[in-house]
Amino acid sequence: MKKFLVLLFLSFNFYGDLVLEITESASKPIKIAILEKNVNSISGQEIIRIVSNDLSRTGEFEVLSNDELLSVPTNENEVIQRDWLLLNVDSIVFIDVQDKDNSLDISYSIFDISYNDTEDKRRVLGLPDSLRQSSHYVSDGIYKFFYGIEGISSTKLMYVTKNSNIHRLIVSDSDGFNEQVLLKSNSSIISPAWSSDSQQISYVSFENNRAQVFTQNLATGKRELIISSKSSVSSPAWSPNNKELAFTSTKDGNSEIYVINLANKKITRLTENLAIDTEPAWSPDGKKIIFTSDRSGSPQIYEINVRTKLKRRLTTVGSYNARASYLNKNEIIMVHRSLSDFNIARLNLDTRELQVLTSTKNDESPCIAPNGNVIIYSTKDGNLSYLAGINLSSKVSFRLPALYGELKEPSWSPFIR
Amino acid sequence: MKNTLISILSIFFIFACSSTPVEKVDVQETKTVDLTASKEQTSDDGVVMNSVDVGEAYVTILFDYDDETLREDSLEELFSISRLMKSNSKYTLLIEGHADERGTREYNLALSERRAKAVEDFLTATGVSSFNIEVVGYGEEMPVDAKSNESAWSKNRRAELFFIK
Repeated sequence: MKKFLVLLFLSFNFYGDLVLEITESASKPIKIAILEKNVNSISGQEIIRIVSNDLSRTGEFEVLSNDELLSVPTNENEVIQRDWLLLNVDSIVFIDVQDKDNSLDISYSIFDISYNDTEDKRRVLGLPDSLRQSSHYVSDGIYKFFYGIEGISSTKLMYVTKNSNIHRLIVSDSDGFNEQVLLKSNSSIISPAWSSDSQQISYVSFENNRAQVFTQNLATGKRELIISSKSSVSSPAWSPNNKELAFTSTKDGNSEIYVINLANKKITRLTENLAIDTEPAWSPDGKKIIFTSDRSGSPQIYEINVRTKLKRRLTTVGSYNARASYLNKNEIIMVHRSLSDFNIARLNLDTRELQVLTSTKNDESPCIAPNGNVIIYSTKDGNLSYLAGINLSSKVSFRLPALYGELKEPSWSPFIR
Repeated sequence: MKNTLISILSIFFIFACSSTPVEKVDVQETKTVDLTASKEQTSDDGVVMNSVDVGEAYVTILFDYDDETLREDSLEELFSISRLMKSNSKYTLLIEGHADERGTREYNLALSERRAKAVEDFLTATGVSSFNIEVVGYGEEMPVDAKSNESAWSKNRRAELFFIK
């Protein structure tokens, strides 16, 4: 039986891993080399391969390949500074792996060429089977050292695929490896969302011929319908403290925003009017919710204080602003219609400055990475949807083409810590 | 045994006493829920939803972009459905609302349900009992034409009316 399970798991890989293509790199990526300290080992070379891929994939690093090197030092003392200055290399990352029977112990240090000195030393400890994830941690440590922003190689991506009318809700490592199917269904799955402790997810499933919101425990697969209703229930959003779920329902006649306390199931209604109110998203402090409403005649973004129920309109420019989420206290990311195209835009709530970030035609479902610096969204090429992304600080853009059917509804995990 | 246990990794930090920061990696599991195997799908509240095959739509009503207003050219068909339903109170009508792919999925879900509601409101205004009408919104999830052009979009912005028992 065990063998059978393993085969089944392998066969999941048939619909392939996500492949990330950089469509626009940073104007001045940081040039580094990653070398193994002392002697080369199988696991050491594998870690270097994963870390190199992680860093290259950000578009903010240029990682030298072995045949570009003028000399190959096996420790800091062997570094011939002029070789590296000639190559314009900023730093060498030395990786030292102790691969024992019961543990994987990775030490890494960052050696700055111009200072000719070691600038940072860190260690990652894992089980022997955690090589990929441990490597992502090394990548994130290196990323943070150079950019001062948390790296996101160790986070997860959740997304929906559709292939021959089978819908799958999938979670994978951020590099597309280790894809796991969370839900397989004959009906549409939309709006997947992570709980802030990343132990649970929620989503909208049409399996019962209408929109219903389920929560699902990742480890046990246990599913729960949040409320039983003959009307549609959709657009789930976990509160930052994980205790409440905001959602949209037409249970009182037209689409309104509600908040349910997950412990005692008490439901609070936040909006009350004849317009569409949907797509709630919590502020980072959990005190406010932004949502889409067409009460003015076109979809626009509003903000409501969950406790006082005071509302204010946030968007004033454009005939279509929807699916907003807070980038931080003062900025939101949303879908904005500019001329005939639907794009992802960033709005500063203080200065009212609106910045359109994308230029494809039908961009939707923007989701912000937990470091607050990368936006992933879904867009279309011909009839097939695929995922694309943009790095806000470096302007690096990338795409994850659909290798099989459709790829849509991305949702970035919180930091998994 | 359709559910497959697969392990994924989760990570937590520990801080070692040494000056070198140490991060420790731990293992967690995920599980697959497969709904495709069973024909009958049960919702978690115990209600078995029989997915009735309702066949072809009796009537399809089309709408304009981001709009749920009934067009004049739809009214004649709706009047005839109204007459049919009033003449036989045993008929139950299912109205499915749909949207084109443009804009966001959740807003389109709400819009599609409002289109279905607009048809219901028209019928009840002409004297049909709302007890004999069910409405549901499918958003942009079930296009009749999956292409990305105006011709496909105009066909997808629709309400489909089915007579069910």
